[in-house]
Amino acid sequence: MSGFVDTFFNLTILRQVAPLLVEGFWLTLALSLVAVPLAVLCGILIAVAQDTPLRLLRLSIAAYVDVMRAIPPLVLLILIFYGLPFLGLRMNEFSAAVLALVLNGSSYFAEIFRAGLESVAKGQTEAARSTGMSWRQSLLYVVLPQGTRNVLPDLISNTVELVKQTSIASVVALQELLRSAQIAQGITYNPTPLVAAAIIYFLLFWPFVRIVSRMQNNTRIHT
Amino acid sequence: MSTDVPETDDILVIEGLGKSYSGHVVLRDISFRVRKGEAVVLIGSSGSGKSTCLRCLNRLEEPTTGTITLTGTPITGPRVDLNSLRRRIGMVFQGIHLYPHKTALGNVTLALRKVLGLSAQEAEQRARIQLERVGLADKEGHYPSQLSGGQQQRVGIARAMALEPQVMLFDEPTSALDPELVGEVLTVMKRTKEAGMTMVVVTHEMQFAREVADRVIFLDKGTILANGTPEEILIRPEHPRIQEFLARTRS
Amino acid sequence: MDQIIRYFFDFSLIAPYWPDILRGFSLTVVMSVLTVLIGIPLGLAIAIVRLYRIRSLNALIILYIDFFRSIPQIVLIILVYFALPYFGIVIDPFWATILALSIVLSAFAEEIFWAGINAVAKGQWEASRSTGMTFGQTLWFVILPQVVRISIPPLTNRAIGISKGTVLGSVIAVPELLNVTSSIQSNVANPTALTVGALLFVALFLPFVLFTRWLERAHATPR
Repeated sequence: MSGFVDTFFNLTILRQVAPLLVEGFWLTLALSLVAVPLAVLCGILIAVAQDTPLRLLRLSIAAYVDVMRAIPPLVLLILIFYGLPFLGLRMNEFSAAVLALVLNGSSYFAEIFRAGLESVAKGQTEAARSTGMSWRQSLLYVVLPQGTRNVLPDLISNTVELVKQTSIASVVALQELLRSAQIAQGITYNPTPLVAAAIIYFLLFWPFVRIVSRMQNNTRIHT
Repeated sequence: MSTDVPETDDILVIEGLGKSYSGHVVLRDISFRVRKGEAVVLIGSSGSGKSTCLRCLNRLEEPTTGTITLTGTPITGPRVDLNSLRRRIGMVFQGIHLYPHKTALGNVTLALRKVLGLSAQEAEQRARIQLERVGLADKEGHYPSQLSGGQQQRVGIARAMALEPQVMLFDEPTSALDPELVGEVLTVMKRTKEAGMTMVVVTHEMQFAREVADRVIFLDKGTILANGTPEEILIRPEHPRIQEFLARTRS
Repeated sequence: MDQIIRYFFDFSLIAPYWPDILRGFSLTVVMSVLTVLIGIPLGLAIAIVRLYRIRSLNALIILYIDFFRSIPQIVLIILVYFALPYFGIVIDPFWATILALSIVLSAFAEEIFWAGINAVAKGQWEASRSTGMTFGQTLWFVILPQVVRISIPPLTNRAIGISKGTVLGSVIAVPELLNVTSSIQSNVANPTALTVGALLFVALFLPFVLFTRWLERAHATPR
């Protein structure tokens, strides 16, 4: 039993590697704080653009979104980081990760916002426009707020997914939390840093996962 | 305990039935009997506890106090085989609740096959007879979404009747239906009564109660205010609350 | 433009590697299929156990689904692969990936099925029980068929997302498609293999993505 604790929950080692993990955590946070707002914004823009009466534009956007949902984000990252330099487009690990995460994440957000926009009755826009609001005003003040509230659980869970995905940046050696834990494990020959990273991720996301579950499970059944 | 000679053709005997939810009393001291072939109609305003009372009879609601027996067999009490008792009590719901993934025939045969253990052929034979009786023989292959509300409820009645229960419970069977569909369901219920079925009905349809009920029980705030014939309760009510209630319902 | 073709679409260059690519692709397919075949039934089983409302089990179940939905897939894969040997279990990267991903899928699937079970009207339980059917019979013949029907759209979506996680196996050297194409890319100093890989991923997952789109539309029509 003590062997188990020494191996997986070794406090001495944990104390040693803590600074490394903390730095990694900050980088994970930084990645998220850049990628999430960008992905959300692009998602909204794509969803709004999809409302266009121009059939060709609508279909192209749908095609882009579907293709982006079909490609694993890690594949995108590898393509961007190792492939683009051949075209002279060299970027650092952080930017490559942000780009990959935004390209993938925005397509999921676009789908969520599209569902949200559709959930708002057409009458709302008509009512708003009839009071003299411009198209942009009716969108900003009437439709988007309602649409967002309707799909809030999905928005939150997709944000959680995106932040979880920052861990793929470890593959291109960006020293976010997972990579830091792997390095620490390599130095100490002990998996405690990995376990610690897993627990940190868990503690980070658990509240949101719980909140989303609660939002989605409001009925109780009676047998 | 009652000092009367026990009625041997009582199907249901309810004594001292009470129900409360965390301090809030919904039913208090409900006692009545239902004889074989009788139609007992429970009326009262919403919140009077009539639906709760009905649902206690097959223990979809758990009584807090009191006893209920079905032809002498206790329904309340610790070691009761609820599933086998429920074969002898049929229920029709306000929300209808047909199984959406099964056809009309499938809705009726499911319990015949799984509860009574009939073979597919026997079950379908019996089910067809039931559907015929409610006038929907030609709709046996239809799914609930393809049927009108009134048709769905008639299938609901067939589903409950197929098990040949000793008593049928109707919980506001027409309240959720469009007005023009109510009649077809009430007609089926009338015919069921005429064929000799014992029934307890919760309803707002006063005309139906006048024509079909053998007895009418008026509930108010969880207790029985009056228990008598349709003439006594509906046509010449003595109690002021009943008069109030009927005046409101008429408008 | 020329450059793009030369570096990303030089198919003749990678032609000799085609068998390796196909082998990688089939491994990806096999892993995805196995993950789905294990994860979804497991999720359903857990949801059914949860229905029996045994309090101590319920707490465990909720911990399970929260933990495995909070932790990033790549972290779990690495943890499983590096931690199990300490318990004397030698597992190869292929199975470590599948194990980790199936568990994650089962956690998400359980939540989806649970939401479905709660969505079926209480009246369905009552109507069925009132004809004398037992709890088990009601669950199997009346409730679950309806739950499965409701669950298919979100379940397919989630299954796609997690199947894409099979590429994460590349970090523990599973010779799946991304791994193979990355190696080829560094061997020939040309990212065409990556492009081919990306196209194959799209070919694999796009049909399912389109299927979920079609499902949404089919369900949007009023009954």
